[in-house]
Amino acid sequence: MITDNAGVEKLTREELAIDYVLGMAEGQDHERALRLMSSDALFRTLVTLWREKLGDIDSTAPEHPPRDLAWETLERAISTQLPRPAANAKAAEHWFGSFWQNLGFWRPAAMAAGLATVMLAGGLAREWARPPRQPVYVAVLQTEQGRAQAVVNAYADGTVTLVPIETIGVPEGRILEVWTLQSREQGPVSIGRMDQARTLKLDLKQLKRPDAGHLFEITVEPPGGSPTGRPTGPVLSKGLAGQAL
Amino acid sequence: MTGQSLSDETVTSLIARCGAGDRSALKQLFDAEAPRMIGVAERILRRRALAEEAAQDAFVQIWRRAASFDAALGSGRTWLYTILRNRSLNILRDESRTELSGDTESFDRASEEDDPETIVMKLGEASRLRDCLQKLEPERRQAIVLAYAKGLSHGELAGRLGLPLGTIKSWIRRSMAVLKDCLA
Repeated sequence: MITDNAGVEKLTREELAIDYVLGMAEGQDHERALRLMSSDALFRTLVTLWREKLGDIDSTAPEHPPRDLAWETLERAISTQLPRPAANAKAAEHWFGSFWQNLGFWRPAAMAAGLATVMLAGGLAREWARPPRQPVYVAVLQTEQGRAQAVVNAYADGTVTLVPIETIGVPEGRILEVWTLQSREQGPVSIGRMDQARTLKLDLKQLKRPDAGHLFEITVEPPGGSPTGRPTGPVLSKGLAGQAL
Repeated sequence: MTGQSLSDETVTSLIARCGAGDRSALKQLFDAEAPRMIGVAERILRRRALAEEAAQDAFVQIWRRAASFDAALGSGRTWLYTILRNRSLNILRDESRTELSGDTESFDRASEEDDPETIVMKLGEASRLRDCLQKLEPERRQAIVLAYAKGLSHGELAGRLGLPLGTIKSWIRRSMAVLKDCLA
């Protein structure tokens, strides 16, 4: 303990580091510890040393398997987030980034292939969809391996279609469900179901029109669709809408 | 599904791959570490569902913060468990304190597995920490282990051990000084 000018007893950095690592720093002590963690290199070192020393206690905890679908839930939670670059944490934290930035949510190795596919799909869309059927917004749904699996086209008259561009294997007794995420607050909304991959008119009547940055994804669900009204099955592919040129 | 143990080097390189956006690396960390993390969180939160939530939240943070992980500031495994412990303690302190601290029934029902002496024994013959903890008087040893493993506050320890708050604070301080010398 040390006493400051005002006569108030204050924990030394070492004492505070110990309380903090033990999880015992409370109230103002806890706030001070958090401040020092971001501003004081010596404090950070003390904390790290104590964490390394006491960490063995964590390894004695019993193991409990995560509940079913825990990984799928986690995967969905991170699916719209790139890891934050260390130097640019604030900008990437914002969920609605640019289309290109967000498209990189699959692995970077898939990016090049992904971009090529987007350009190709854009070219095909122009070739096949002659005016007035030129889509206003297009989303290319990619698998985790970076293959384009389907294209969502949103037209000026409000029609939205999904066009598969590769065969999609549907597990026995399951269906495919299409979702869109327009805002975090609203969460994902089901906009179509099918028992096999085919061109499908999507139902966005209750929703806003597709816009740049809206997410589309296909998941595997039980017959009749997700029982919870939210995606529950594995995500087969996903992509963000971008404005067609 | 029980986690197979990953070496410290593997954990560190998987964190680096997460930082580069590689989701398969996060999956490997999840498969290997999530079961233990749930166990650590459950000691603190005493409820499986809350513990699973804490582990889930921790993995989201691990993914988001992986790019800023600095191996010079400690091992990858310590980093993972720090995120988990902080999340668990925040849930305990900020969100459910009243509800959980009133839950004396499940508190007293703590399993044999979570008994502080059992935890110390589980540290294993080779552990320096175990040797050093065993230099402390039993009650002081238990105070340290209960504080760290179960997230007990000074006040809760005082209540549990039937001692004044000031005594607990000075016990912790002196015991940690002994540990520090012993582990140095």
